[in-house]
Amino acid sequence: MLGRKKKEDMASVQPYTKGTLAVQAVMTVAAVFFIAPLFIILNYSLKGKKELYLSSPLSLPESFNLENYVKAYKKLDLATTFTNTLVYTVVSVLILAILCGTTAWAIARCKRKFFKFCYVYFIVGILIPYQALFLPIYMIGYRMNMTNTRFGIIFMYVATGISFGVFLMNSFMSTVPLELEESARIDGCSVFKTYFKVVLPLLKPAMATLVIMQSFQIWNDYLLASLYVSKKQLKTLTVAIHSLFSAQSSDYTTAMAAIVISVLPIAVLFLSLQKYFIKGMTVGAVKG
Amino acid sequence: MKPKKISYMERRMSRQYLLLVLPGFIIFTIGLIVPLFMAVRYSFTDWDGMSAEKIFVGIQNYIDLFHDSEFRDAWWFTLKFTIGNTIIQNVVALLFAVALDSGIKAQKIYRTIFFIPCLISALVVGFVWLKMFSNVLPAINDFLGTSINFLLFGKKETVLSGLLIANNWQWIGYWMLIYLAGLQSVPAELYEAAKIDGAGPVKRFINVTIPMLAPAITICVVGITTGSLKVYDLLVSSTKGGPGRASTSMIYQTYTTAINGRKYGYGCAMSVTLVLVLLLVALIQVKGLKKREVQA
Repeated sequence: MLGRKKKEDMASVQPYTKGTLAVQAVMTVAAVFFIAPLFIILNYSLKGKKELYLSSPLSLPESFNLENYVKAYKKLDLATTFTNTLVYTVVSVLILAILCGTTAWAIARCKRKFFKFCYVYFIVGILIPYQALFLPIYMIGYRMNMTNTRFGIIFMYVATGISFGVFLMNSFMSTVPLELEESARIDGCSVFKTYFKVVLPLLKPAMATLVIMQSFQIWNDYLLASLYVSKKQLKTLTVAIHSLFSAQSSDYTTAMAAIVISVLPIAVLFLSLQKYFIKGMTVGAVKG
Repeated sequence: MKPKKISYMERRMSRQYLLLVLPGFIIFTIGLIVPLFMAVRYSFTDWDGMSAEKIFVGIQNYIDLFHDSEFRDAWWFTLKFTIGNTIIQNVVALLFAVALDSGIKAQKIYRTIFFIPCLISALVVGFVWLKMFSNVLPAINDFLGTSINFLLFGKKETVLSGLLIANNWQWIGYWMLIYLAGLQSVPAELYEAAKIDGAGPVKRFINVTIPMLAPAITICVVGITTGSLKVYDLLVSSTKGGPGRASTSMIYQTYTTAINGRKYGYGCAMSVTLVLVLLLVALIQVKGLKKREVQA
């Protein structure tokens, strides 16, 4: 870590060599390619209907009109769909945070065979993404009367997210010192009390990581939501956006405004909590 | 007296641990493991999704799959898409990570720009690239007076490359971050030692960087492969599996067969093949890549 710091400091004062200048130029071109579609989305979302047909897609809008946003708000039934998506995401993630923490901790601490089996059992869920099983997942939901209910979709988000969560939390368990837990136990704490009083506070950064990783997955999910909710008052943002795409394929300025609305919350969340996000992604990727 | 007391304590503790594990265990079992077994069971029936009767047909569904050209085409597309993604995304993400780590300025800004697309739902990404190819990029032709064909989603021959562009645009930044974290964990001393030994930049990359990146490579290769095998959302809003059936993925095909075509039993057989392939690929990759990690 120390050596690394030195290297970064050196880099910041180093003048450009031919090599770094070339790299910088190439990366700038790549960055333009990556950011261009984002710019196009924003640009379109501010354009009027007339401009869509008359001016070039690359030209800037003549005036800032928010008409498309108002239209998208109505077409998406935003008050409902936004609240639905938010409720599904927040509740699922909260349940995941509680369950994954306790499950991973118990698996890490209890040496009995069943717990070792549990670890492998949960890993299966990482190897088989739920999309591959979407058909039986839909069938079981239908059979248990869980489709078109808030409970059903939240249950499925928890069930499909839990294996990654357990894996993630498990990899953080080594940061919890065993001595603390033991002394809590000597003081007479039960297993539950030890977890909530001693372990959970130490897991806060891991929890932040888990929350962010799962929120963005659930917020963006389309397949499960499209299978589980067809009732209008239960629809999610992505499902509403999909019907908007099909209905408005020619007047896509409204669709672009809808995209901006749907991406904004998750982008803000990411930019403010980038550190935890990166930590979650890189679990296991770094040696040692 | 004493050992008995400990074992009593231990038993009580493990019962409490069990209570902590059970809720998650049950939810996971109902939500994913039971469906897995359901898929296997129903794949031996000809259930249409409605009738109460599920007639056992043995392995007839699997025999039919073998002769089903639509199923074969869907696999062929999915495999091409997966192989293309695994190669392009890994190579470009690694190159980007190395470039950002080479001491260029404003590293963090680049990192954020490359990363943002993966925050967007794949459904939205599909739609955005549909419009990019059909409306935005042709405008560049007008601008430059060229006539490059940008309508990649319109032709059978080009639809795969169009989708690869969209998918790579979305995910390169994500995998790049993992490689970047891996690169930054390589101790600078190792590079210096290699330098003293007279290794050039290319040799240092192959003999120091790549072995140290082995865990990151495992994660990226497995992640990209499984991620590409399950492609669906991206197609729904862009090509709808077309033109013709040129971009119908395995999940897309299962969806149209089972849910639109009311062939649940047959659809379950498709799901089972996909699960088997996913498990097989993951096992092979983890085994192969882990072996390299150990050697490194």
